Amino acid sequence: MPHGDPEDKRARFEALALPLMGVLYNTALRLTRASEDAADLVQETFLRAYRTFENFRPGTNGKAWLFTILYSVFVNRWKRARREAGPIPPDELEERFQRFVEVAPGADEEAGKTEAWGERWPPEVEAALRALPEAFRAAVLFVDVQELSYEEAAAVLRCPVGTLRSRLFRGRRLLFASLQEYAREAGYLRPVN
Amino acid sequence: MLTTGNHPGDELQQLLDGRLEAERRAQVEAHLAVCARCRRELAALRWVTAAVRKGLPERDVPAAVAAGVAAALDGADRAARRRRPAWVIGLALAAAAVLVVLVTRGGAPDVVAAAAEELARYRAADLPLQLETGDPRALERLIARSTLRFPVRVFDFGMMGYRLAGGGAHRLAGRRSALFAYEDAGGRRVVCQMYEGRITELPAGAERREHDGIQFRIYRTAGLTLVFWQEGDVVCVLASDGDPEEAVQLAYAKAIKE
Ligand SMILES: [Zn+2]
Repeated sequence: MPHGDPEDKRARFEALALPLMGVLYNTALRLTRASEDAADLVQETFLRAYRTFENFRPGTNGKAWLFTILYSVFVNRWKRARREAGPIPPDELEERFQRFVEVAPGADEEAGKTEAWGERWPPEVEAALRALPEAFRAAVLFVDVQELSYEEAAAVLRCPVGTLRSRLFRGRRLLFASLQEYAREAGYLRPVN
Repeated sequence: MLTTGNHPGDELQQLLDGRLEAERRAQVEAHLAVCARCRRELAALRWVTAAVRKGLPERDVPAAVAAGVAAALDGADRAARRRRPAWVIGLALAAAAVLVVLVTRGGAPDVVAAAAEELARYRAADLPLQLETGDPRALERLIARSTLRFPVRVFDFGMMGYRLAGGGAHRLAGRRSALFAYEDAGGRRVVCQMYEGRITELPAGAERREHDGIQFRIYRTAGLTLVFWQEGDVVCVLASDGDPEEAVQLAYAKAIKE
């Protein structure tokens, strides 16, 4: 019954969306990189989602549906108003990644097990993620952090799956390159014996 | 068959994510057995994917955000009770879209297009107002409690027959703004906004006028008129669906010289 009474609509919407507010807020923080903007983005997302709740098909992925609205609001209202400002240019990161993979076997360290990182996560990962150019950051955010499928993430970003795949690939490489120095110093990259 | 001169590239990622079919997977794995470069690349991808997947710090939702969401839903419930038919909204947004197309050629169209869209949404009863009030002082008090960094004065168009309907802290093309909405007895609507910026950033194509030493930029199309002017660090915009010349006169009446 898609056109139930308003009270019922509110209750059904809240049951679906309110438990996801934390996930949406943290995603909004990583997209906008500012807590005031994230607050506005979440509020606008909930409002749009509620108004278009008739379009949501019960049984499909509610999180992906809300992310689609969140990202659309973000693109329309924020993306154009913000300049990209990562500390290291992407081309420089790409070169670093190539240097890492091309080094002669046995001459350098290997990417160790992440179990070695322990319980407490260093803020560097979050900072490196936020510094990625937006298109790559969004791909990593929705696939790796929020664990959407390629198809769901492509729908959120309104791009073909092939585009999502290449942005994800680039985003992961750049992220690795920007964390490499830190990981080496912290002992998360270890010499190969 | 892959050779070492023919690295699988982003198929390493698909292998990592379990998206390769069995036959192709076997080929890529055979390549990995003989290619240290690709083994290192796969290890790097696996490492970084695990690093973000393992869990980034999650912040709690601030109470003010949760309260803002609840208020927004309440506002939508109220608006839904007096919502107009969908085709009215469609017509209004189509008028705004024409303006968007017209000003896009000039570059940096965001503010002009967004101000037109906001008026269209208000005409379609599709713009929830943070506070519904006819009292400009009450609206000023609400906005003073927001995070806007500039002082706001809510225009009073009572003498010109426009009644304040409400408004609040808002966003115009990503910029923090204060928004006030008005309506007259004939159903004409005016939406005013203030935001930090310069009118010199506005797109080309505006009609320029000067009145009492103040510069005005005027955009019009499809029955909508937008008048911009500068007050200190703040840009004011008045959007109207009424008579174009009347819209300009409303702006003249309220503009204050810097
Ligand atoms: Zn290879």
